[in-house]
Amino acid sequence: MKGEPTSGSLSRRALLKSVVHGLGVTLALGHVIPRVQAEERDVSKNETDRLIVHVARPLDAETPVQEFASYFTPNSRFFVRSHFGPPPAELLSDPNWRLSVGGMVDRPLTLTLKELKQCEEVAVTAVVQCSGNGRALHRPKVPGVQWRRGAVGNAQWTGVRLRDVLAKAGVQSGAHHAQLQGADRPVVASVPMFTRSIPLEKALHSDTILAYEMNGRPLPLLHGAPLRVITPGWMADSCTKWLTEITMLAEEAKGYYMQTAYRVPTTPVEQGTAVSGQSIPVEAMVVKSLVVSPQEGEIMKAGPVVIQGVAWGGEVKVAKVEVSLDEGKTWETARLVGEDHLYAWRQWQLVWKAKTAGTFTIFCRATDDHGQTQPTASPWNPSGFLWNGWDHVTITVAA
Amino acid sequence: MTISGYSRDFFLVIGLVGLAGVTAAQEEALSVISAASAQRAEGLIIARCSVCHSADLITQQRLPRTRWEATVGKMEHWGAEISKDETDLLVRYLSARYHPGAPDQLPPLDSEFRKAELLTQEPVAESQLKGVPARGAGIFEHNCQACHGAMAIGGVGPKLVKTPILKHEDLFTETVLHGRGAMPGWGSVLSPQDIADIYAWLVTK
Repeated sequence: MKGEPTSGSLSRRALLKSVVHGLGVTLALGHVIPRVQAEERDVSKNETDRLIVHVARPLDAETPVQEFASYFTPNSRFFVRSHFGPPPAELLSDPNWRLSVGGMVDRPLTLTLKELKQCEEVAVTAVVQCSGNGRALHRPKVPGVQWRRGAVGNAQWTGVRLRDVLAKAGVQSGAHHAQLQGADRPVVASVPMFTRSIPLEKALHSDTILAYEMNGRPLPLLHGAPLRVITPGWMADSCTKWLTEITMLAEEAKGYYMQTAYRVPTTPVEQGTAVSGQSIPVEAMVVKSLVVSPQEGEIMKAGPVVIQGVAWGGEVKVAKVEVSLDEGKTWETARLVGEDHLYAWRQWQLVWKAKTAGTFTIFCRATDDHGQTQPTASPWNPSGFLWNGWDHVTITVAA
Repeated sequence: MTISGYSRDFFLVIGLVGLAGVTAAQEEALSVISAASAQRAEGLIIARCSVCHSADLITQQRLPRTRWEATVGKMEHWGAEISKDETDLLVRYLSARYHPGAPDQLPPLDSEFRKAELLTQEPVAESQLKGVPARGAGIFEHNCQACHGAMAIGGVGPKLVKTPILKHEDLFTETVLHGRGAMPGWGSVLSPQDIADIYAWLVTK
């Protein structure tokens, strides 16, 4: 299937020893070169260098896991999920773009980006992850973009608090949900728009922001320029891109993308069934970890091997990461290293002494501060959301 | 939210039993799809589904018939221009080729499709065809407008009105028949007469 890093048409294009500094050790990535190295880069053409493309149009592309050796995922290597693709650039540029705030508010607003920026500027480092990340790993297989491991990234998001903007408008007492609408539109008008809502409590949380910068740079077009929602700790279905309208409502937003899609059953469902009964929107992330190095299929010499990766717990910090080399019979606790922030991922490493030649599978699992541990495999659900089964890579120690 | 895990063995056993059952049935289904039907289905995918998304979204799925039915039904509901017959054909084709037991690696749809002969049996003698602008407007609306925009002023795809390609009808026809860059070929859906009609309409704009 399309989507393996080794076969992806955008990866490993040329030979270059590239070095990244991650986790306090220098790790040679090798054999990778960005497609374009010019300093001034055309954003639309180069926002996606090195990504693994699952759907060419509208673009759905994930990050090769090796990129997660960097604490911050670079903007150009950050996964892209599109429902309809970016709106025309002229709609998003200064003279045309506005944010409107309406519905159950005392003072409906229409703000320019400059006016919005009069609110206090805040920054949050947070993992953004597609709800369907890992969908391809569910069995039986489920429909949707067959994301594997890389529909996730960690970035610093800068913007203003959503609650400061809502305070300007004055939220009325009966409002319980903030409906979020971006400027993206389906090709065919009969296709439902991507309309979402988040509960008032999340909208008013001091860490929920409207972001206009990503990793210190203006938000790229593919990531929602000029403004997107960041709901730290929640899956990215709440992180509306190209935001233009906020509407305060008494109830959850109507429409396909809130009432049918991006929902999980409240009780376990029979595997393979298409429909389910009661469901709730996909919101908080579940604890999850990835082995970043070594990479799948790597061949190495006997001796010490630095196993490293990342782990995140959504709205809860990561307490522990464990590694197993015997398919989960025994586990060894890894060392948590680097920066430690709620909502961001935590880097981890463990030195394994590879003594004998052979093929080995390295498993990892994380546990969060609430004591939730990654399961072997996540509960099956019809749309394949919230995968957080143990991650693993298989490597060979040469004789 | 708390979600408990199931045991790995449980998953494996269910998976294998399910797979064996599905594979035999699906192989049988595949054999009843004639080559001509398969070509027609592939043409439909490229012409009808690709209006909104590239065909790779389809070819990466491995689904049982019930879920293909639901998916194609959803797309029809959302405005995909497919008739009842075409819906049935698509479901049959998709569940025969992209079933849960199918290998991860299948040849890409477009490479096979390009090898396939065009479904229109008429010789391509577009220079002798006389386009009817009034017909072309309707054909454009149903087939081209989603990408090239209303009145062909551009959208996801390039603007067509008052552009150099309209100076060369042969080049225009060739592009529509076989595709170019991101644009799929339309040879299985549009006849040379249809293309001549679209061309005739475009040059009047």
